[in-house]
Amino acid sequence: MRPFSLARPRSLGDALRLLGPDTTAMAGGTDLLGLMKAGVAEPERIVDLTQVEDLQGWQRERGKGVRIGALTPLAELESSEELRRVLPILPASLADAATPQLRAMGTVGGNLLQRNRCWYYRDDAFECWLKGGSRCFAREGEHQYHAVVGARECIIASPSDLAPALIALDATVELRSARAARELGVQELFVVPHGSQRREHSIRPGEVIVSVRVPEAALARAGAFAKQMDRKAWSFALVSVAASARLKGGVARDLRIVLGGVAPVPWRAGAAEAFLEGRALDEAACARAGALALEGAEPLPQNAYKVPLAGELVRRTLLSLAQ
Amino acid sequence: MSRIVRTTVEIEGRMSDELALVDGKDLPGWTGETTIVGARTPRVDGAQRVTGRARYTHDLQLPGMLHARFLRSPHARARVDRVDASRALTAPGVRAVLHRFNAPKAAFRGEETIFRAEVRFVGDEVAAVCADTAEAADAALRLIEVDYEVLPHVVDLEDAIAEGAPRLEEKGNVSVSGSHSRGDAKRALEQAAIVVDRTYRTSTQLHNSLETHGAVAHWDGERLTVWESTQHVFGVRQGLQAALALPYSKLRVICDYMGGGFGSKGGIGKYTIVAALFARMTGAPVRCVLTREEENLAAGNRSATLQRVRVGWKRGRISGLEHLSWSNSGQGRWVADPTGPTNTLYDVKDLSTKSYRVVTNAGALSAFRAPGYLEGTFALECALDELADRAGVDPLELRRKHHARTDGVMKVRYTQKRLLECYDIGAEAIGWSKRKPGGTRGSTPQRRRGMGMASQIWFGGGGPPAYATVHLNPDGTAVVRSGTQEIGTGTRTILAQICAEELGVRVGDVRVEIGDTDAPYGPISAGSLTAASVGPAVRLAAADAREQLLGAASGLMEVRKTELRVEGGKIVSKGARKPIKEIFDELQNYTVIGKGSRHPNPAKVSLNTFGAHFVLLEVDTGTGEIFIEKIVAVHDIGRIVNPMTAASQVEGGVIQALGFALTEERVLDRRSGRVLNADLEEYKVPTVRDVPPIVVRFTDVPDTKANNLGVKGLGEPPIIPTAAAIANAIANATGARVRTTPMTPRRVLAALAERER
Repeated sequence: MRPFSLARPRSLGDALRLLGPDTTAMAGGTDLLGLMKAGVAEPERIVDLTQVEDLQGWQRERGKGVRIGALTPLAELESSEELRRVLPILPASLADAATPQLRAMGTVGGNLLQRNRCWYYRDDAFECWLKGGSRCFAREGEHQYHAVVGARECIIASPSDLAPALIALDATVELRSARAARELGVQELFVVPHGSQRREHSIRPGEVIVSVRVPEAALARAGAFAKQMDRKAWSFALVSVAASARLKGGVARDLRIVLGGVAPVPWRAGAAEAFLEGRALDEAACARAGALALEGAEPLPQNAYKVPLAGELVRRTLLSLAQ
Repeated sequence: MSRIVRTTVEIEGRMSDELALVDGKDLPGWTGETTIVGARTPRVDGAQRVTGRARYTHDLQLPGMLHARFLRSPHARARVDRVDASRALTAPGVRAVLHRFNAPKAAFRGEETIFRAEVRFVGDEVAAVCADTAEAADAALRLIEVDYEVLPHVVDLEDAIAEGAPRLEEKGNVSVSGSHSRGDAKRALEQAAIVVDRTYRTSTQLHNSLETHGAVAHWDGERLTVWESTQHVFGVRQGLQAALALPYSKLRVICDYMGGGFGSKGGIGKYTIVAALFARMTGAPVRCVLTREEENLAAGNRSATLQRVRVGWKRGRISGLEHLSWSNSGQGRWVADPTGPTNTLYDVKDLSTKSYRVVTNAGALSAFRAPGYLEGTFALECALDELADRAGVDPLELRRKHHARTDGVMKVRYTQKRLLECYDIGAEAIGWSKRKPGGTRGSTPQRRRGMGMASQIWFGGGGPPAYATVHLNPDGTAVVRSGTQEIGTGTRTILAQICAEELGVRVGDVRVEIGDTDAPYGPISAGSLTAASVGPAVRLAAADAREQLLGAASGLMEVRKTELRVEGGKIVSKGARKPIKEIFDELQNYTVIGKGSRHPNPAKVSLNTFGAHFVLLEVDTGTGEIFIEKIVAVHDIGRIVNPMTAASQVEGGVIQALGFALTEERVLDRRSGRVLNADLEEYKVPTVRDVPPIVVRFTDVPDTKANNLGVKGLGEPPIIPTAAAIANAIANATGARVRTTPMTPRRVLAALAERER
């Protein structure tokens, strides 16, 4: 690991003033430190946000949904009895995320901004396309965990379990920099690496996530989450699915079906959502939606299994939504 | 009186005739009930371990200690044409740099130097830096300039076998490493009514001991002392003597506590030599321990295999069995032969097996808990189930029917074989009678439920040479000394029990001093041989000490020696109990030292361990996920010295086997030869959640012909049959056969899809 300077501001204002184009913000550090040890990230100046006040914890705000501070540890959301009543899909999405230790350190903002898990990306010996090179080594090499849909030059798979759940709840992120503030849908935080856009997130230099907001309307929606791993714990999703809908008289409206682990970004299963709009979530409809979930998928030899797996997981998640 | 005897020595299935030097006469087995041996005994070093006081090699901090780190090849194969360390040498804190152009000759595994002119895998050692801190050494690595001439390479087993692969050795990439045949397998298969002909693949498994390989070396001008995380302190001493040409009198190797040894820590590594060379150059202690990544590149592995099994069926019996196997040895020079179990596990008349070594540009294999046997048992026991399925017979019945009473290779009887009893115990415990062909319904509509089993044969008889002394303290406590080592298996505890039992003192009054070459020789802690090799020597040493003590007591108490015995730390005669301490009060500093040596094994018999594992599981046919509900492990290893440490050995073996079966796989990038998952995030060892309830049972009958304790080893047996039993249970549950390990959701889904075609 290269030497670096570390600042630990106590206020958001100080943090934003310290952050600039050549600084790296760090929250729990569970991802950044790994990248630094691998020699993939070599920041010279790190701004540690964990001492910043007012970015911790979550509140239900009357008529305005739920606001979650960006530095809230994942463990706090996962273990909250109250949140389990208000927004059960959120704790459900975190139950199998990483390990108890990592959830204790990892934060909401950091989870959304974690980098991909491609083993070529994380090995500094490979100058892959995403790191400014000209090739995707995974496409020709080992890609059992990689994207099956929506990928362009780079076939990384979106690793976050939390992001699909937040997108299914129409959540937004509040971004702040020293000069400006803006709000983005969580989906818009993620970008498919493509063309001149060799990155995974739309956050700009100097910006930090301050909070995540789940709108009031989402609290009334039914939600469900499922994750398939290849070990019983401490594994990124082969496929994860978050689904939510307004259910009335057994009929689903306004559906969100969002998958992790299948595309470079959290993947909205648009065709499946459209198909189910106004339908009852019965066996046949859910199975059909599962089949439609990864429409247009272009799997590679080693990751083709993800397509039927995603279909099955979508089917089950929708069925459990109906219950 | 010492004398020489000729004996057959077996280590991990490799036999050799050797001479053994033994002392006196061996003892007969215990006839009556033992009170300490066989009793549940907590580990004597448990408190040290759980309170963090146990000192591992990694924990060692010596005053002025320097740190050594390796520069490793980024290429799978290349010539090292130039190494320029001038910039590294001027970096802060750097003391010295070694590489192929300046390192002294140091013999290592048949080569003259530790830095090769041609590096042969990603991770091969190119240079080493010694610096004040590990960080300084690390930083200096980046300053070493190396000119590589990159050469054609091949890393994958099947790529290396294929036509047109780069030729890595003069004789080609593939060579025969072993074969066995009896009868006429070819004809028997031709005449068989049913032939199962299947190909199985197992992936490369990495040891991932919690404590990585490493050594700390200290040269005080007179003597080199090396602390190493090793399974064989005497092996390290021998390696150092060969590498550094120092006499044994100047070498001492110590391994106190050890964080895991599964076969790859059987001798010195390049890290040992580098630490020793730097220690001699700098006059300071030098620590060289591998990082987790290095551990997974250059510290050994279980070879990936490609295996073809053909097995025939005629008139209710196996008719012909052929097993061919190719192993990816990487840069290793031997093969962990997977065909061993096929040769001996069942009574098959017409049999033919052949094993090939395939050389590739990957890290060398090393022994890994039941090397070859785990891989081979997976193929053999899956094929037998496939045969049973085709023939419409119960797989357990098929195995019972082909029970081998004699060793089919050596053509001799076993000293003891209670495998049929293992089958009975296991079948009862898992509820085998409820098993249905085609499985049963699972707990959800998508889940299927099934049962499977597999058998195991392993060695574990141990043998000479192994020595111990028992030193009686004046207060009646005792010290056992032997050059064996505690690698986490419970060696300290069982040796204390054996000594206490024979000497007549309490376990708590015995201290076991091992892991030091200043003690009498002890063998490698591998091959499931420690209990059966060192244990009998400790018993003899304890008996010798007791006899000396009773001789002294007889004189002092004026009672005939034959009327005295030692019990609970007291000399007992008719009507009198005298604490040992009181005898010594009169003897003052006269010392009783008992000596014991392991006597040879009986001739013309085979010494083996046997067992069977049974698995009950569910398969989610929609996701390919396996849910194991229960594993029953039953073994015949002779007498159980300590039911607690024995159960813990079995649990550990089953858990490591679960990794092999379900999650663990080294992933290599074929183009670059790099290991893509050389960390514990992506290389997936089982977590607590992956471990189902494990039911451990033993036949627990002393093998009286084996040695004076009637014990055999248990290190390897419990890792052997688990993967096959799981695969067989999956097939029973779903009708889908997964023929590649690890059996990940991806592979289970593929097998389910294949079944439907």
